[in-house]
Amino acid sequence: MAPRWQHLARLDEIPVGESKGFDLHGEGRDSLFVVRTGEASVVAYQNACPHVAGARMAWKKDRFMSSDGRHITCFGHGALFRPEDGFCVSGPCQGQYLATVEIAIREGELHLRLDELAN
Amino acid sequence: MRIMGPDEVVFGVDDVEASRTFLVDFGLEEQRQADGSLRFAALDGTAIRIHHREAQGLPAPLPTANSLRQTVWGVEDQAALDTIAEELSRDREVRALPGGGIGCQDDAGFEIAFQVTVRRQLDLPPERINSPGAAPGRGANQIGADETAPALPRTLSHVVYFTPDMERMQRFYIDRLGFVVTDHFTNTGPFLRPQANDDHHVLFLLQTPDYMQGLEHVAFHMQGPSELMLAGTRMINKGYESFWGPGKHKFGSNWFWYFNSPMGVHVEYDADMDKHDERWTAREAPSNAETSQLFLFQSTPKWAPMGGPPPGNRK
Repeated sequence: MAPRWQHLARLDEIPVGESKGFDLHGEGRDSLFVVRTGEASVVAYQNACPHVAGARMAWKKDRFMSSDGRHITCFGHGALFRPEDGFCVSGPCQGQYLATVEIAIREGELHLRLDELAN
Repeated sequence: MRIMGPDEVVFGVDDVEASRTFLVDFGLEEQRQADGSLRFAALDGTAIRIHHREAQGLPAPLPTANSLRQTVWGVEDQAALDTIAEELSRDREVRALPGGGIGCQDDAGFEIAFQVTVRRQLDLPPERINSPGAAPGRGANQIGADETAPALPRTLSHVVYFTPDMERMQRFYIDRLGFVVTDHFTNTGPFLRPQANDDHHVLFLLQTPDYMQGLEHVAFHMQGPSELMLAGTRMINKGYESFWGPGKHKFGSNWFWYFNSPMGVHVEYDADMDKHDERWTAREAPSNAETSQLFLFQSTPKWAPMGGPPPGNRK
């Protein structure tokens, strides 16, 4: 079966080094977030800290990054993650990984691969 | 040991401006200090203090990345402060602090300080409810649902630590400072209250690995459950991230709603906590989802069953 893709946002809605959350299920909270790691590069993860099942990570809508932009942060307990692979370098879940979500950039638009997304 | 509760919790943070935004929206009053730090005060003067993590003169950081730098305990009077200074000077260095307080480390490596409390006596109305069979809390034409009500934290309620050395830590607070265990979560830790405060807990400890040492959360008492819901809903509407709640705990009976914060710890609204005295016998329970809450809700976008019957049923 061919993968299904869902349009998420324009790439330029997310400044380089910043993040944006998406509420795919209309729950009033974001189920995944995208970090723009470069001009033409993004990563995406489920908004779920590996430390506590179901714990969401931002401190405010779209705020998933440390102030210097170098780490994804879980603002529940201050865990720091490498943006490139979601590896936790410090905090309660150190040594664990965020769950990745596959997204693609096509003509400046972000698309989410639906069959990759766990609920 | 006439300790009343936490007067101030001091942080050295990554992002001062984000912390400021969060704490003001949480309902605390910003007070800029002479040393460049920011104080965010509840109605009785108890507060969170924010410094940048690289600011000079801060108490040393924990070995972890946790942003907690110091917990300042308020005591009843100078005599209470002198008693604590004498007790703790027996086996550790106790520093005199500017302003008359004293500072040292507890037995688990947390920086603590004591001062004659800054807590102002509050004289405020409780949440008023109408309950059949009881005298009305609100008289005729007194409206309960006020969307513009202030909903401000009244006082610093409690602090909760992640500690790698539970036994040493609880012995310090119980044996050296006279804290009393009100209830106990098996394999997690004790709820503790000091002798000059009858709240169910001002201190709770969670046993963790050493790489987690730090503050888990700091909580503020609200007027009551309605005000807690109002304050929490305002946070949600501003885009803040709920961690747990709203709900009602079993031990302590308090309503709760926890939020993530830019300080990398949770900040909690609580309301309607039990009070205890020396006649109370501590309960024990395993710590789990069932024992930690009477019930739990989750905020959702507003919804209502609007309109009449579905079109097919209209005659």
